[in-house]
Amino acid sequence: MLARSLRYARPTSVAEAVGLLAEHPGARPLAGGQSIVNVLKLRAAEVDALIDISRLQELRGVRATPDGGVEIGAGTRYVDLARDPLLLERNPLAAEVAGGLVDVQVRNRGTIGGNVCLNDPTSNFPPLLVALGGRIRVASAGGGDREVPAEQFFVGPYRCALAQGELVRAIVLPPLHDGEGAGYATLQLARDSWALARGAAWVRRGADGTVEAARVVVACIAPRPARQHAIEAALIGTRGEEPGLLAATAGALEGVDAIADSHASAEYRMEMAREYARRAIRQALGQTEAAA
Amino acid sequence: MSDPETTHLVRTRVNGEEVERVVQARQLLVHYLRDTLAMKGTHIGCDTGNCGACTVLLDGEPVKSCMMLAVQADGSELKTVESLSPAGADLSELQQAFKDQHALQCGWCTPGMLMQAKALLERDPDPDVETIRRTLKGNICRCTGYVNIVRAIQQAAGQEVTAGKPEGVRA
Repeated sequence: MLARSLRYARPTSVAEAVGLLAEHPGARPLAGGQSIVNVLKLRAAEVDALIDISRLQELRGVRATPDGGVEIGAGTRYVDLARDPLLLERNPLAAEVAGGLVDVQVRNRGTIGGNVCLNDPTSNFPPLLVALGGRIRVASAGGGDREVPAEQFFVGPYRCALAQGELVRAIVLPPLHDGEGAGYATLQLARDSWALARGAAWVRRGADGTVEAARVVVACIAPRPARQHAIEAALIGTRGEEPGLLAATAGALEGVDAIADSHASAEYRMEMAREYARRAIRQALGQTEAAA
Repeated sequence: MSDPETTHLVRTRVNGEEVERVVQARQLLVHYLRDTLAMKGTHIGCDTGNCGACTVLLDGEPVKSCMMLAVQADGSELKTVESLSPAGADLSELQQAFKDQHALQCGWCTPGMLMQAKALLERDPDPDVETIRRTLKGNICRCTGYVNIVRAIQQAAGQEVTAGKPEGVRA
């Protein structure tokens, strides 16, 4: 398939890239291209120009932040995240998620910035970033960056909080302190494959072992990663043991809109979202035990 | 500031040869290889980024050439299936293994399978079956059921060919 005629530029800095995006309202950033190239082939969007940011070294790599967390350059490819020593040390779950995305070829091109900006309901990183309390650092032609909490960044299917002319510069993950743990669990058709339901969780235990704080998210069955405040509230003050955990995750889910298709009914997806949220919570709790 | 343009000069090294062409910005890498350079070894399967028939090596790494613009390959080293055995030469060990193990029927996915397998064996000369199978996730074959492809890669790796056999049974 042939894309509509378009223009292409390869700026040499983020400043130049956001300048071009601001100057050309019909322009869109091109990173790994693992989604937008298909969109262009299908002529499903009006794009006059592509601003290729895939070679900008300032968007690549994982850096340590002084608080013990990490700042991940938006243009870092999945394959590089999966083997990054700093990420493996400070947030191994994020590295593992990157290493299980789609297939070898997509991991060699696709970037975490593209993943969060596409915000497909089945995208891997959005629910993880919400559970981890991540922030999205956004650059624009106006100068200074702004930071958007992940929870506010993911607006709806294929929509995020970026304005025209803005570019994601980095994804910032807070540190995982002692007593904190994160989990991520997906029901998928096969390994590295399309997801039907997904849960992501973060917990913090107090010195007495009870849960002090939690973030629980379900995805794939929701227009955006859906925080489950009722489940979080039910976990706090408990040790997250059975059968309390089962009861805490048995109620209605918030902010979800499951669809039925050839793979599964809406009811099945909903039930699996509960189950995979439960698994993510168990994983997160298990990590805190390991740390204690 | 470099303004966006509809045509670009693209310099690449394709199977060891320096190639320079002016391309349209919208041209896909797979069309550049097949149409502009008349190298028909790389196949277009699904044209949606799912099947992997168009897999080529970009600076040594497998990528789907239908999911990339030709202009994005500027300055890169490309390897296509044609690089495995030059015209008139014997089949490479990997190609011979595909032939020996009947790892193809219609052959449409084969160029992508071969390039994926070549990159795997360069990265990991002694992969286990699980690694081989997981690596092929982005390469779809509708004929073979994959077992013979896994066997071919085992043969090319110099391993005992065990895939598809019950445990304890020799090939």
